[in-house]
Amino acid sequence: MTGFGDRILGLGLMVLAVAYGWVAQQWPEPFGGAETVGPETFPTILAVVLVAGGIYLMIKPDPDAQWPLGKSALELVVSLLVLVVYAMLLEPLGFVISTTLAVGALSWRMGANPRSAFVTGLISAVVVFVLFNYGLSLNLPAGLLEVH
Amino acid sequence: METLGFLMEGFAVALTPYNLMFALLGAFAGTLIGCMPGLGPANGVAILIPLAFTLGLPPETAMILLTSVYAGAMYGGRISSILLNIPGDEPAMMTCLDGYPMARKGRAADALAISAIASFSGGLIGTVGLIMLAPVLAKFALSFGPAEYFALFLLAFATLGGITGKNPMKTVIAATLGIMISTVGIDISTGTQRYTFGVLELYEGIDFILAIVGLFAISELLFFVESRMGHGREKVSVGKLTLSFRELVSTIPTQLRGGVLGFISGVLPGAGASLGSFISYTLEKQVLGKKGKFGEGDIRGVVAPEAGNNGASSGALVPMLTLGVPGSGTTAVLLAMLISLNITPGPLMFTQNADIVWGVIAALLIGNVLLLLLNIPLVGVFVRLLSVPPMYLLPIVTMVAFVGIYSISNSTFDLYFMVAFGIAGYFLRKLEIPVVPIILGLLLGPEMEKNLGHALVLSDGDWSILWASTLAKSFWLVAGLSLALPYLVGPLLRRRMNAAMKESPVSD
Repeated sequence: MTGFGDRILGLGLMVLAVAYGWVAQQWPEPFGGAETVGPETFPTILAVVLVAGGIYLMIKPDPDAQWPLGKSALELVVSLLVLVVYAMLLEPLGFVISTTLAVGALSWRMGANPRSAFVTGLISAVVVFVLFNYGLSLNLPAGLLEVH
Repeated sequence: METLGFLMEGFAVALTPYNLMFALLGAFAGTLIGCMPGLGPANGVAILIPLAFTLGLPPETAMILLTSVYAGAMYGGRISSILLNIPGDEPAMMTCLDGYPMARKGRAADALAISAIASFSGGLIGTVGLIMLAPVLAKFALSFGPAEYFALFLLAFATLGGITGKNPMKTVIAATLGIMISTVGIDISTGTQRYTFGVLELYEGIDFILAIVGLFAISELLFFVESRMGHGREKVSVGKLTLSFRELVSTIPTQLRGGVLGFISGVLPGAGASLGSFISYTLEKQVLGKKGKFGEGDIRGVVAPEAGNNGASSGALVPMLTLGVPGSGTTAVLLAMLISLNITPGPLMFTQNADIVWGVIAALLIGNVLLLLLNIPLVGVFVRLLSVPPMYLLPIVTMVAFVGIYSISNSTFDLYFMVAFGIAGYFLRKLEIPVVPIILGLLLGPEMEKNLGHALVLSDGDWSILWASTLAKSFWLVAGLSLALPYLVGPLLRRRMNAAMKESPVSD
């Protein structure tokens, strides 16, 4: 079936819109009585618009996009993991080590040979760290490399 | 003459060594951003926002930096159009048509030089237009009530897809999603907690800067990973400059026409820089008719679109500065900077923050001169940087985005949020839901709700106030038309633009 992606998106948007609109109706009436425009008015309008948009997409979907399969999809997941792990390790390992690993891993996965990838990572990490911590006096975490 | 006085004060702001340094830095970085693949102007400015923010730059300096980047990106886009037949950014598409054939004939240096000059005059014409039009429009906008503003915001969303946009309904969906995200947090007027689910980090709402950086920078990285275009391009040589003075003079009428047309299409909602350069090119072809050799490396075919898109980029600042309603992705990002500097955009900015507005405008004039000076002698440097493969560039850009977001709040929570926005951005872009309306929704959502509330308080709950005045009515009408037009004339225009691309004999 063509337009599969848009139909699913339309359905998802509708579910989102209904949930969003329903939550808005649960809020207690603000102190001092109801006005014409309460906290729920605007979200209710938005929910209605989005339901309409979702229905439209389900009825008239555009042709499907080319979705990555197999190896490309795997590469995408790997890159995302790198980003999440980077965010996780930024504070414990410190900026220089985690950045070397993250930038290196990303360039390597994008096609650079491993050595130049990690060298690029190291150089960019050191340059940015020195520039930020000494040049601009911002605080990037030093982590393991911290001098006590 | 009042304007001239303000402009002089603006120059006083922009010409301080400190601000001048940042203008130069911005112009240089902007040209780089424009010419590099995978780093469009909106993306580039978005990554620089958290940096400008954490550096603690004074508001006028931060704005001068980002406006220079914006102007620079418009210059940079042409370099890869001419040398590689690949536009560095979307508005530079039309420059490929005659720029690449010129380069093939060994006149790459001439094409680069003349297009820098055309960019300069386009930018200059656009900025002069901005200086004349903006104060008038700002004065007019002072008469807007909340109902007019509400209608104006709708108009901004409706026209964002542009008349060449594919599916206006997707623009509407994107804008709604953006506004929905902006409702998260404590409601300003009643104090009700909305969609916070008890998560402390959500009480103040979702910071649009991290949403912007995630939606642009992270999703761009994912696109590159998917397309495996990491390896970049071969080196290109530029050759010697053989441009004669007579040839330069002969393009002056083209430069003027291109600049003016570009400015007009920049100001108009929904037209933008891409259409600006398209119109200037087409008109030039029609005016010169058989006398020109368009598509085969006619020098005026390079001048017209470049003057057009730089005129348009200044023109696009008019609605952003005077009404607080940006008409393009990059100006939306600039608006984000203004809002995070606690400056309320709109007509009042011209009286309350005159130093910033006029400082930015003066910086635009100075920036154009700097860009011309940078672009002619330094073109070799930019060309060399063009061959830096994205497989090194994009990871570093991503890292800079991480640094910027991290240093705003020193918390990794924001980083996860940014990555999540990146994933969402990737899926939405895959499904052809445009990202820019989401950002505009995030930025304008709170204002929209506030104006809706005010309008209904004024009318005592009568909803018809939203379309009571003639002005509001006409906004609604234009908004409706811009959603309907893509269905009617969109396919035709798109076909023409594509046909123009194909006509070029060397579009390989």
